Amino acid sequence: MRFSFAHIILALVLTLVGFSLGQETYFNSHPTVWKDGEVLIWSLDADPALDVKEFCLSLRRFNAGIGDPKCRLLGEWERDSVALRYASWLNANMDPNLDPDYLRARHPAMQAKFQALEDKTVLYIAKNGDKLNIAVFDETASEPKAAGQIHISPDKISMGDNVANMFFDRDAKRRLSKEERQKLATEPDEYFQEVPIFKGWVGIGIGYSQAHIPLTPDDWTESHTKSTIRNYRVTKDSVSLWNFLDDSDPFFSVYAGGTWYDFIGLELIYRLAVHNMKTDPNDTVYKELDHWKFYQHEIGLNAMLSRNYKPLKWLDITPFAFLGFQYSFFVEDIGLKKKVKTPSKAYKTRIKFEEAYKGALIGAGSHFILHQHYGLGLRTGISSRGRDMYVDPSPDAGAQPSMIGGFTLDWFISAGLEYHWTL
Amino acid sequence: MVFRNWVILCIMVCALVGCSPSYHWSKSHPMYQKAPYSELAIAGTSEAFVLTRSSWFAKKFKWSPDSIQLKATAFCKDVFLNELRRAYPSFEQIPDANTKNFPEESQKLDSRIFMKGRLPEQGVMVKDSSGKTPPYILLLHEFIVGTDLNREDYFDYARIHLENTSKKTSKNLSAIVSYTLWDNNKQRPLFSAVDEIQRPISTPTPNDLEALVRSAVKQIRVNLYEGARK
Repeated sequence: MRFSFAHIILALVLTLVGFSLGQETYFNSHPTVWKDGEVLIWSLDADPALDVKEFCLSLRRFNAGIGDPKCRLLGEWERDSVALRYASWLNANMDPNLDPDYLRARHPAMQAKFQALEDKTVLYIAKNGDKLNIAVFDETASEPKAAGQIHISPDKISMGDNVANMFFDRDAKRRLSKEERQKLATEPDEYFQEVPIFKGWVGIGIGYSQAHIPLTPDDWTESHTKSTIRNYRVTKDSVSLWNFLDDSDPFFSVYAGGTWYDFIGLELIYRLAVHNMKTDPNDTVYKELDHWKFYQHEIGLNAMLSRNYKPLKWLDITPFAFLGFQYSFFVEDIGLKKKVKTPSKAYKTRIKFEEAYKGALIGAGSHFILHQHYGLGLRTGISSRGRDMYVDPSPDAGAQPSMIGGFTLDWFISAGLEYHWTL
Repeated sequence: MVFRNWVILCIMVCALVGCSPSYHWSKSHPMYQKAPYSELAIAGTSEAFVLTRSSWFAKKFKWSPDSIQLKATAFCKDVFLNELRRAYPSFEQIPDANTKNFPEESQKLDSRIFMKGRLPEQGVMVKDSSGKTPPYILLLHEFIVGTDLNREDYFDYARIHLENTSKKTSKNLSAIVSYTLWDNNKQRPLFSAVDEIQRPISTPTPNDLEALVRSAVKQIRVNLYEGARK
């Protein structure tokens, strides 16, 4: 904004003075102010209360971005009987208690006139006693977009300043060319485009996961979470990896995804977590051990359903639910103390996990997107790791040892910073 | 257990009440402050009256089936005008020619109720036969006479196209009236409504019809009074 300090002071003073001068805005839905626009002054009275040239200068004084507006009297409406009837009707009916809906022009010919305005703005002025009724019209409706009144004073310049300050103080937009207008008018509804609307995002996040799923009984997971490993491989039950690994740990995630039609989408995720092995502190065999932990790498693909809500102009809220699959890889990181030259026999025959586990993800969350691009994503869900379902069980499966970590379940919650874009 | 049954019953009743549509049958302009007291003009009476089930009425009233529509609507119109004339000391009739050219528009009373009728143009004051401009005009849009009529069937846009399969009954004489109180000075609709009047009958006579129209007028006057925002 190229407002100088003096302009701001002037506007402030005028606003304050406005209250004392009986200046009142009935309603204002802030119609578009066009840069280098055309303002047509539609006066009910033969002697207009505003001076056309001075009003244009007032516009430039109060809105530095308005460019070079053109103002003229709307003579063709002032001579038209339908418009004249509506103008006098409006003057009699304008009232602070009435919504714009009650001021709509009902005559089809009048409605057609408003629709044919294109990007011109009509400023209606009509004297009513010692007050001046003001209404602003544009092509989008046959009712006033803004209305109010001010006291009539002999100083037409200050009245023009008041009106410009009341209704034309918004940021001015560039006028569209004839081709652009036509393109905009013939553009199909966005949900009927041949190329669907695609919204994409990338994000990085941190989260936390644990074996115990909230709102479920503790004893569902206690046997896993409380167990420890003796002699590098002995534990009560090996069906869940949480018998060996610490379950409650933070994780880091990177993800990218997209939705089509604001409704159906796909998302690729990568997660990294570090889990310590739960060695039994009473077991003396671990004296040689410096550290023993596993890096958990997970790559997954989610299918998601979402819906977009726009409660505010700068905020999009997109709740979603997802269902997906993932591969988990556990990479061992083990080290002996420096003094130890030869590890124990138990160390050499320690437990090994599968090379990869396949699992599923289910959950829900929401994106909160500020100004179309900068998002915060929150999500929660349950993920599992298990055997590869595509392997047929062999006939002698009963004789085989059960798979370690064949059913590893956890609950997670995460928050991420995201960047969103629309194609 | 008794308590649980009560809770279930309450929930069911709430669900039933919540699901059934509740209509608004009238709409007041925010500036409608005072109902007309002694002065009223009326317009639209020549084409508003309609008689349904005319052969049934012809049989019961022993009037000729060929002329029952004309005769009955003229009868209702006379009763209607006389009743209003008694109620308002300075009562005027607007000639049809003055209002007939206005286009038909629909007014929305409720999310499902739309009322059609001719409204004068904005900025044009309607004159009566002597050239004066009355301040209030009652625009009568429709006056439907029949038996056991429901206004939902005529004005709920979701129901007007449905075929009524239930058997016609004649427990009540009914009238459905749609009208607008027009502020002639400021050319705006002050109060719009659809009224339904039912009058129980055993053997219908023209006297019942007269009483029906009278109670319709009474209902209109009550609504005009209650519709004003005090």
